[in-house]
Amino acid sequence: MITTLISRVLGWGGLLFSLPLMAELERLDDQTMSDVSGQGGIYLSGDISINELGGPVENSYFGRCDDATKKCGARFAYRLKENGGWMVLDDIRGTFAFEGLTLRVRHIDSGFGGDGELFDRDVLELGLPDIVRYNDVRFKIAASNTPRPTDPGFQQTDIFSVQMRGDVIMQGNLLVFPQGNP
Amino acid sequence: MASLNRKEKVPGFIKGLFSSALCLLLSSQVMAELQDLSEAELSEIDGAGIGLVLEDFMFSHGTDAPDGSGEQARIFRIGGIKSTDGRDVDITVNHLYISGSGSNYGQNLSPVNLGRLINPYRINVVDGNSIGVNDKAVLEIAAPALVNSIQGFNCLDAGAQVGSGVCSSRPRTEDFSGERPDIGLQMNVAVGDDRSANINIHAESAVIDGSYLRLWGDNERRQMAGQFKLNFYSPELSINACEQDGSACGSRILMSNFALELALGNQLQPVFFDVDGTGNFVLEVAAIRRPVPGQIGSNGLRANSNPEAWDFYEDYYSNPDYRSNLHIGNLSVGDRDFGSARLEGMLIQHLEIRTKDLAP
Repeated sequence: MITTLISRVLGWGGLLFSLPLMAELERLDDQTMSDVSGQGGIYLSGDISINELGGPVENSYFGRCDDATKKCGARFAYRLKENGGWMVLDDIRGTFAFEGLTLRVRHIDSGFGGDGELFDRDVLELGLPDIVRYNDVRFKIAASNTPRPTDPGFQQTDIFSVQMRGDVIMQGNLLVFPQGNP
Repeated sequence: MASLNRKEKVPGFIKGLFSSALCLLLSSQVMAELQDLSEAELSEIDGAGIGLVLEDFMFSHGTDAPDGSGEQARIFRIGGIKSTDGRDVDITVNHLYISGSGSNYGQNLSPVNLGRLINPYRINVVDGNSIGVNDKAVLEIAAPALVNSIQGFNCLDAGAQVGSGVCSSRPRTEDFSGERPDIGLQMNVAVGDDRSANINIHAESAVIDGSYLRLWGDNERRQMAGQFKLNFYSPELSINACEQDGSACGSRILMSNFALELALGNQLQPVFFDVDGTGNFVLEVAAIRRPVPGQIGSNGLRANSNPEAWDFYEDYYSNPDYRSNLHIGNLSVGDRDFGSARLEGMLIQHLEIRTKDLAP
């Protein structure tokens, strides 16, 4: 029922990893592969920036972040009713950096105050990175009568905006597993 | 392997291009095979949902005081709100935390589990017929479900033993951190240049078992509909105000054994979400339909009424699931006790909330 529109300006500037490094990769032969004893997991470090300087669209409304008369964040609009107005996640921008997000499959058969033994199954474990560094992450929750601010008759009510900067402590493991009786 | 030359790179790149083009081609062919499921078919699906548990979880963020050069290492601010006289309202969050219980109002943070492996947080698509939303597939995001009182723990008692209540989350014990976090928020509000004192809200050993958010689409209104249930139990919920530098604090408003069971929307009266033509957010709980004249007898008895209609209204007015409750074991301000407070059986019969833009 929810019609979704990702506005043109959703510019994911980030994920600037590894492409130049591909030339360095070397094929492992079967013999070498058989000697590898895997760690069975992934360790991720990342630096994700969203419209830090501005998105790809430049018009009467959107522009570079150093232009005070223009908005430079990304915009995501979704509709809750046929022919109704739009809920908007507006002006999304900033940088997140983290080191040590881990991903692995783990078998749990103990711990958790006795629950582990009863559970005795595999889970997907997402190890949170302890600290996520936010660099001026901002977004706004708003309601608007048109999906794009350049549409005729555009009216918008900003409900509130959030700004986050600095080290956010986020410790622990997120365990994901199927649940219920299929 | 810096010696890779250009000749080796190019075929690899082209190969990659071909394989991804092939993938796209294949997937587009497969897509042609997909068929729409009708609403009725979808509503039959009661899929295995996703269970989520946070193990040894801890969250903390806030705002630091500016250093010598006026720079702040950490900022957490909620803004964009305007007062009725048009001044900017800015909420500075000094500290927001989720920690293990026994945190001493957020001073000693420790890890805690959220959800149990055998009763986790869930994201699920449920068969609407099983929860009274007929012929719909309902998206459900739910906290651990309530359990029967043989397996459960008292929702409020931080030293509860098994078999004492209906909550699944366990309190902290000597050798296990439990599943009941301390949650706290310290903030101050500025209207224009006037900044308030710091307001601190702390909940100890909090439990939200039995809470859920259910969302589906309403065919008649062509609109998103939902049902929200919030259970919030805490042996101690406290609110106080302190000077901005933390030097002096006022009396603490202490609510012991705080239990909120809020039901916003139900199967018969879902909550509707919308944005109106002027770009304002609208939240609505529609009034229950009126009986057709003659359906309910003049003496109100079932024997003189249409039994189906009578049962419908009987269920609507008597079903405890549709009603909200608030219990406070004891309310005290400083050293004064106000005793206990109870607000029981509130039924939201009609509600409409509409935001209003104050900007000129």
